[in-house]
Amino acid sequence: MVVAQTTTTPLCGRLPFRSLHKDDFNPNPSFLPARSTPPSSLAAAASITTVPASSLPAVQTPAQARVDILSESLPFIQRFRGKTIVVKYGGAAMKSAALQSSVINDLVLLSCVGLRPVLVHGGGPEINSWLLRLGHEPQFHNGLRVTDALTMEVVEMVLVGKVNKSLVSLINSAGGTAVGLCGKDARLLTARPTPDAAALGFVGEVARVDPGILRPILADGHIPVIASVAADENGQSYNVNADTAAGEIAAAMGAEKLILLTDVAGILEDRNDPDSLVKEIDISGIRKMVMEKKVAGGMIPKVNCCVRSLAQGVRTASIIDGRVPHSLLLEILTDEGAGTMITG
Amino acid sequence: MGIRGVTVSDVRGFGAQGGSTERHGGSEFSEDKFIAKVKMEIVVCKDQVEAVVEKIIEEARTGEIGDGKIFLIPVSDVIRVRTGERGEKAERMSGGRADMMSLTASID
Repeated sequence: MVVAQTTTTPLCGRLPFRSLHKDDFNPNPSFLPARSTPPSSLAAAASITTVPASSLPAVQTPAQARVDILSESLPFIQRFRGKTIVVKYGGAAMKSAALQSSVINDLVLLSCVGLRPVLVHGGGPEINSWLLRLGHEPQFHNGLRVTDALTMEVVEMVLVGKVNKSLVSLINSAGGTAVGLCGKDARLLTARPTPDAAALGFVGEVARVDPGILRPILADGHIPVIASVAADENGQSYNVNADTAAGEIAAAMGAEKLILLTDVAGILEDRNDPDSLVKEIDISGIRKMVMEKKVAGGMIPKVNCCVRSLAQGVRTASIIDGRVPHSLLLEILTDEGAGTMITG
Repeated sequence: MGIRGVTVSDVRGFGAQGGSTERHGGSEFSEDKFIAKVKMEIVVCKDQVEAVVEKIIEEARTGEIGDGKIFLIPVSDVIRVRTGERGEKAERMSGGRADMMSLTASID
């Protein structure tokens, strides 16, 4: 019993934790069962149930479990406090309203406890739907969008004008303050045409990153939301792949973590066995897996973007399952994570 | 692995990359631009060289341009300033590879 008390008292002294106790901290049911290994304080809390004459209830209440889990996240919060985390947001997590609000809440929570999250987003489905409204058929070549002049205009309008601002206002509603940017703002991203320009049109590679503008935004406690549209030296707009943009921004900021939200559980050792999730792997390991064709086609660009980022000094790059509620919190604040973490 | 000392310097450098660019801090740099690098200098006995080279490659290889090169340079002498020792005695460091080897030998 004494053991359980000592693990929960440190909670009271920590100011950042007080804000977590507001009603908007949502202990989503799926968050609790994700803790697979019973850590010492949970075991200690469970031992309370065997003590007869005590003022504590006989059954472990959700509140008790909740604060035990909160107090376990302390070492992670301490480790990452003040560190920059770049999150690339896309896929299913963007389409479902419930998942979207869980990601937004996670970002605001991380910002509240002192981490510095940066959100980079894509917006493929929105772009497609607006192109169709204009009577223009979306085309893809090797997984990248064929971007002619009209498509480029639509991409810029949809990504920067609609998707970006709706994310900013969602974050604002959740209690954070967001600042929406695109690659053109403060020359954050400078693009150059990809080698494949003849087939792809205005699809850009990242030539240069100037993260200067992000520092004051983060220092003031705001969350930058970045749309991956950039311009070249002459002002010509380019559509940059959001994964690539996220990776290069992470490298430029010396970020601690790069996190890519995807629609799959992560990288599987055996494609047909969903339980064979690779939790942690290093650069040479993942390159070996790619060579052994264990990594699916669509995942290869994401893996390459992660490796490129790691080679430039980002501490870890993770590919996580965006379909799981609170996947961000699982990845950052627990040992289990929510997907595959690639280390440098 | 028994390497007990290393000198590390922050330097600037570039190398011919056959036309491709190196990425550093999110930006691309062409062949003639200096990029911040780290230089490591390790002095070991000849018999330890291959093991050290393999370890460096194993840990530092990312597969991207900019991984760097290892130059093997012969050292004509090693002198410990504090005691004046020279040669193999000066190169030897406590807890180093030589100590590790003799420890395993004595266990057998």
